[in-house]
Amino acid sequence: MKKLLAQIKAYPYTKYILLGLVLATIPSLVYFDVLKSSYVTLVGVVMIYTIVSLGLNLLLGWSGLISLGTAGFMGLAAYISAYMTMNLKMPFEVTLIVSILIPVAISVLVGLISLRIEGLYLAIATLAVSEIFRKTFAEFEFITNGFSGKSVRYPTFFGFFKLDTTMTYLLLVVFMVVIMILIHNLINSHVGRALNAMRGSEAAAQAMGINLLKYRLLAFALATALTSTAGILYAHFIKYVEPSKWNLGLSLNILAVIIIGGVRSIIGTFVGSLVVFAVPDLVLKQIPYFGKIPNFAYIINGILIIVVILYYPAGLIRVFNDGKDAVVKLFKKSRGKTV
Amino acid sequence: MSTFIQLVTRSLETGSIYALAALGIIIIFRTSSITHFAQGAMAMFNTFVVTIFYINFHMPLWMALLGGIASAFLSGFLVDFLIIRHTKKVSPVAKQIMTLGLIMVFVGVIPLFFGVEPLNLPKFFNSGEIAFLGAKISYNGLFNISFGLILMFVLFYILQKTKWGLAVRTTASNDVVARMMGVPTRKVTMAAWAIAAGLGVIAGVMNAPTTTVTPNLMDSVQLNALIACVLGGFQTFYGPVLGAYIIGIVKNLFVYYISSVWGDQLLYISILVFIVFRPHGLIGKKVIKKV
Repeated sequence: MKKLLAQIKAYPYTKYILLGLVLATIPSLVYFDVLKSSYVTLVGVVMIYTIVSLGLNLLLGWSGLISLGTAGFMGLAAYISAYMTMNLKMPFEVTLIVSILIPVAISVLVGLISLRIEGLYLAIATLAVSEIFRKTFAEFEFITNGFSGKSVRYPTFFGFFKLDTTMTYLLLVVFMVVIMILIHNLINSHVGRALNAMRGSEAAAQAMGINLLKYRLLAFALATALTSTAGILYAHFIKYVEPSKWNLGLSLNILAVIIIGGVRSIIGTFVGSLVVFAVPDLVLKQIPYFGKIPNFAYIINGILIIVVILYYPAGLIRVFNDGKDAVVKLFKKSRGKTV
Repeated sequence: MSTFIQLVTRSLETGSIYALAALGIIIIFRTSSITHFAQGAMAMFNTFVVTIFYINFHMPLWMALLGGIASAFLSGFLVDFLIIRHTKKVSPVAKQIMTLGLIMVFVGVIPLFFGVEPLNLPKFFNSGEIAFLGAKISYNGLFNISFGLILMFVLFYILQKTKWGLAVRTTASNDVVARMMGVPTRKVTMAAWAIAAGLGVIAGVMNAPTTTVTPNLMDSVQLNALIACVLGGFQTFYGPVLGAYIIGIVKNLFVYYISSVWGDQLLYISILVFIVFRPHGLIGKKVIKKV
């Protein structure tokens, strides 16, 4: 029994699957009136943003390439998928593939530009790309329905298997856990090591035989694939897409997720997403006086970004380890005294 | 032809707004090596201060602007003193992200201090225009163009000819060596943040009459100023200013002659294509990095 437990603990995917199982219980808790029904939407949104942030983490954390175009690409995928399922009546599976491929193709172009410009300018270039998308969403009414927004339905599989709220929520859980495991494998493979080397020093990486063009484009493509997946899931979970959603503010919030949660940490990304997208509704609004301040969460996230970078660069995920270390230290000290 | 001249003069007006904002960004970049994304947010905040001085305290606009510049200097000082000074060991990308965090703070506090209603700020000159080669320029437009040019001329004069300007240029070229030579780099950086915030609020007050004073006031100015920096190159002080005027003019020409809907997008795409071929901008030189 003990051996089995140790084996399970040593299994690298245990924590992701465990997290998925815990999250999967939420709809049933809501069913038995333990939690409010709004929790399903809230946690679902947190999972969607975890997927986007994992993409950005791959780009910023592991490869050292900053992007402010996240919201633009997410919106693009959301709109394409909404148009395909609602107007063209395409099956969800086809939509999923096409709405990932188009943004990825565009992001590869951005990646090509990124090769020519230095790190600092990349943020500006991606910001410009995001701005192009945002303006286009509002103007391209034929597909996006302009400012009035576009409504979407829950996904339907194989043409007849219609999902409801709970099933879509569970679909999100599955997507998130699978993506977490995939990223875990990716960063522990030669690709992950190449990306890491590229972040450390491009010249050194090149000297070790790493093809910068190939891995930069790969990083952009993978990050955008995740961002698009999240955009599609968002469209089909919230069932509504509007152009004003995909602005710089959203990109900044997603950046905040990574910085606050923990750069280069998969579980940390989820923690960050929880802090940025769920804590405002769950905790901050309950605080007397301060909870009434509009934008309070936005201010707190901004301050957290600055404070975390200055004083706690590993992110909140380190709190668990540091806390454990502190307890162990305390325990050892007190034992040392009695002996 | 008169339409063309009209367009160009109108563009010079927006161009000078972009140029002031871009100059703020480049001053910060050169002295603290940070791409200052919060320049627009800080300018927007201080424009709100000007508006409050103007509306609630019934000050004349120029006096309110002076008050706004004072508050801009103060906010610049504070940001440098509280945050930027402690970032010696932080990587450039992380510094960039910190200024993004600053945006969230400055945008977030607006409803707290100034409420959620959009406010209005008038022009310096409400009426009157002069004819110039068949095109009409309003007094206010003329004032904005000339004020921007004079301000930039004064700043460039200070940068090139005075001892303080020399200190800024030495700090910009090499921070460590400048400190070794006895340049008070801390004071220089602090002054740079204050001046950048001041330039921001002037751009904000010039931009305010074209729209309403809301948290989104400076978004497009900020974006265009950043792109102007990329277009002009980050290596010189005057490159971004040139870039800003070019963007101002080309933007209006695209919007008028090509498409009012797709003009902006086309401009951004053509600039992206341009930097693929000239990655260091119009006037930029290649910076050789040591490995």
